[in-house]
Amino acid sequence: MEFTREIYWNVGHGWTTLAPMYVLLLAALAVFVLGCLQRIKVYRLGQPLDRTDQRGERIKTLLGNVLLQTKVFRVPGAGTAHALFFWCFFTLFIGTSLIVAQADFTDLLFGVKFLKGTFYKFFSLILDLTGLVAIIMLGGLLVRRYLLRPEGLITKRDDALMHGLLLTILVTGFAIEGARMAVTELGTPLAAWSPVGLVVAKMLNGLGEAGLRALHLGLWWFHLLLALVFIAIIPFTKFRHILTTSANSFLADRGPTGKLTTINLEDESIEKFGASVLSDLRWKDIFDADACTLCKRCQDRCPAFATGKPLSPMQVISQIGETAFTNPAANLVDLVGREVIWACTTCLACQDICPASIEHVSKIIEMRRNLVLMEGEFPGEEVMTAMEQTEVNGNPLGMGYASRGDWAETLGIKTLAEDSAVDILYFVGCYASFDKRNIAVAKSFIKLCQAAGVKVGILGKEEKCCGEPMRKMGNEYLYQSLAMETVEIIKGYGIQKIVTTCPHCFNTLAKDYRDFDFPVEVQPHTVFLEQLISAGTLQINAEAFSCTYHDSCYLGRHNNLYEAPRNLIHTAGGNLTEMAKNRDQAFCCSAGGGRIMAEETIGERINVKRVRMAVETGAAQLLSNCPFCLTMFEDGVKGADVEAQLRPKDIAEILAERL
Amino acid sequence: MNILICIKQVPDMESKFKINNEGSWYDRADLAWRMNEYDEYAVEQAVRLKEQVGDADLTVLCIGPDQVKETMKKALAMGCDRGVHVADNDAYQREPIEIASMIADFAKTKNFDIIFTGMQSQDRGSAQVGVMVAELLGIPAITTIVGFAFENGAVQVKRELEGGGKALVNTTTPVLLTCQLGLNTPRYPTLPNIMKAKKKELLTIAPDLSGLGARQETTAFYFPERKGGGIVLEGELPELAEKLIHLLKEKTGVLA
Repeated sequence: MEFTREIYWNVGHGWTTLAPMYVLLLAALAVFVLGCLQRIKVYRLGQPLDRTDQRGERIKTLLGNVLLQTKVFRVPGAGTAHALFFWCFFTLFIGTSLIVAQADFTDLLFGVKFLKGTFYKFFSLILDLTGLVAIIMLGGLLVRRYLLRPEGLITKRDDALMHGLLLTILVTGFAIEGARMAVTELGTPLAAWSPVGLVVAKMLNGLGEAGLRALHLGLWWFHLLLALVFIAIIPFTKFRHILTTSANSFLADRGPTGKLTTINLEDESIEKFGASVLSDLRWKDIFDADACTLCKRCQDRCPAFATGKPLSPMQVISQIGETAFTNPAANLVDLVGREVIWACTTCLACQDICPASIEHVSKIIEMRRNLVLMEGEFPGEEVMTAMEQTEVNGNPLGMGYASRGDWAETLGIKTLAEDSAVDILYFVGCYASFDKRNIAVAKSFIKLCQAAGVKVGILGKEEKCCGEPMRKMGNEYLYQSLAMETVEIIKGYGIQKIVTTCPHCFNTLAKDYRDFDFPVEVQPHTVFLEQLISAGTLQINAEAFSCTYHDSCYLGRHNNLYEAPRNLIHTAGGNLTEMAKNRDQAFCCSAGGGRIMAEETIGERINVKRVRMAVETGAAQLLSNCPFCLTMFEDGVKGADVEAQLRPKDIAEILAERL
Repeated sequence: MNILICIKQVPDMESKFKINNEGSWYDRADLAWRMNEYDEYAVEQAVRLKEQVGDADLTVLCIGPDQVKETMKKALAMGCDRGVHVADNDAYQREPIEIASMIADFAKTKNFDIIFTGMQSQDRGSAQVGVMVAELLGIPAITTIVGFAFENGAVQVKRELEGGGKALVNTTTPVLLTCQLGLNTPRYPTLPNIMKAKKKELLTIAPDLSGLGARQETTAFYFPERKGGGIVLEGELPELAEKLIHLLKEKTGVLA
């Protein structure tokens, strides 16, 4: 006997079935298309933006994130269940498509059947099992959402609708299969190739053939109707993420990671800066809101949210979406709220984990730009003062600019103005220039360079703030004036290589300054020192010590540099105990996004919370690679009252102690 | 309304000050420059007044070398309508009456309703210029204002008195007011206003120096001698104890 099954068994062949079926399908598709067009119209309220370059790479990302569920999989549990459900659902979709292809095309038009023989056996088995796994995964997600109710998970009408509809489609699918099998397959060897169907068939068998046929026919049309309803409501419900979240993988920002758009300040036709209403944002920013599934991964990782600030990255995205579709003329800044806008540390934890490739940070910065550039508003007077100090003295600390190089006076290094024939320019940064604690780091770095025979130059009083905190706080104008000055000075000396001890300086010089034609190689000190050690030019005498290591956001998530600092710690003899939140999951120190200039007035202190995480490791030292982090941790160990047991240090200091 | 705001460019007080070759004033090298703090309150109050009455023209005046125009641009960006730069490279060594005369000379034909100045400059701190301008123009002067209200030509100001007392003073225009800390929080210029400021009128005029003569001379400029001061010990506890014992032995007799 041929292994196959009669498609449209009991439903009826020919136009009596096909005509109403296809009319319904067309209706569903029409609703679907209209719904999509409606939403596209709203996306178009945003500013233009080209996200169709590097198509090959974009398609690769799309396939990876959709078919392999790469990003979804990063969070086990719900992520695993979603990925498995997706694969099953996708397989069932392909299976159904094959049935349609044979029944309504190849067989109908050419008399060709391919769902038969061994292929059919495996076809039947696979669809049967994927259906079962899909039901189990959906059930698991249902239990999570409605019974376990993880904190912060927002459940709306859409969620009930989606769970209900999908579950009913899957269950009715098995019921239809069982009814059919009870009549046609029970007792045949083919039945074993649909194990789940077989169980259902045995359960239904008591109904008798007439009952089974009536049940089958009714459920068949009901199942079809539900499937069509599913298609039709995609654009109107969270089901739309099937399209938008997938598309967003293609449309994602392709980097450099976290780099902001540079406003053309020469263009005198621009009269408005930043975003205060929806139409100031780009279309992708509105699209992002539609791609969001409220999975709350961003919120779970946001250091501001975790410490009681009013910011939830997810909420910001939702509010933008809500505004777009209900009240596009509303003032976005008022709606989102100033305290929310100022709370972001630009740590990028939200963006990094987002399975929907949403760009949270740039939206917040756009709103900050509006507040600063159009309204002259800041989170507090201290920030305005820091901005003014930077305008006058080139540093937010308000120290006299002429004393910027004083820390190096006795170290035997020269400024480029004195001698520009150097191996590297050490771009010191404001904190290592003026802040006593961080001057110690700068001195350690110089000591290491001198031990390795590297000739270092600094800019001294010619150096100014790189502009990073100002830029992240929204002051694009001040950032650009600082950037252009710095670019001109460094280029004037014909420098080939720059090393920084501050990842904010590094990130800014290496990424942001590219927009000002600045092709000089820039390295963070950890990477530079690791190279010196592996080249054998720098000798470190390992001496055992216990420590934990904090990944700064701007070396870590912003630049994906996780191993070089760890290698250095290992070289120094460090016994490294990782904090639970490390590498791409690291918890910000609180000072990014220009927050180093601002008082933290709402909620728990982020730095203290991070210090407590470090204390949990039992390590004696908290190592980092960033002057902002170090400043925050020096403050944090006092706040957490653990000064005696935990010593914050920069990796350079640990190395310099072991020369 | 016609309003004049007199501002001065001063060094940032965090700068490393050195004494000039003549020993009469600070050396101008390696200094960062900014608007005198009290003048910022003056500019801010004038801009707020314009926002209140709508019809007002704000002239900002500054005396000094070419570089003071940088500071004037900030006043223009904050909202002043036009700038008058009185070019004078020797302004730093002039005594208050000379500065006041230059301002009065410019202002006498302009019929300003209100003149705002800072209550004093952060560098010289004579607190005389504003008052002298008023005297030369024959208009009232009210000093150290920390509150300002204007209604139908009537001016009411709050003055800060010694010991924290306050006084309310009523007057009518024309009047000269010198502004004190606490009057307002100066705004941060918005980018469109910074752009607009670049296109605003900024006239440079030569001062009429006839009849001006110095009656004072600064003969010496020096920093107070360092006398004592606190020491902050830093380091680990055992190290701190060592340092402290060492200090007590060396500098005091308590351990003798």
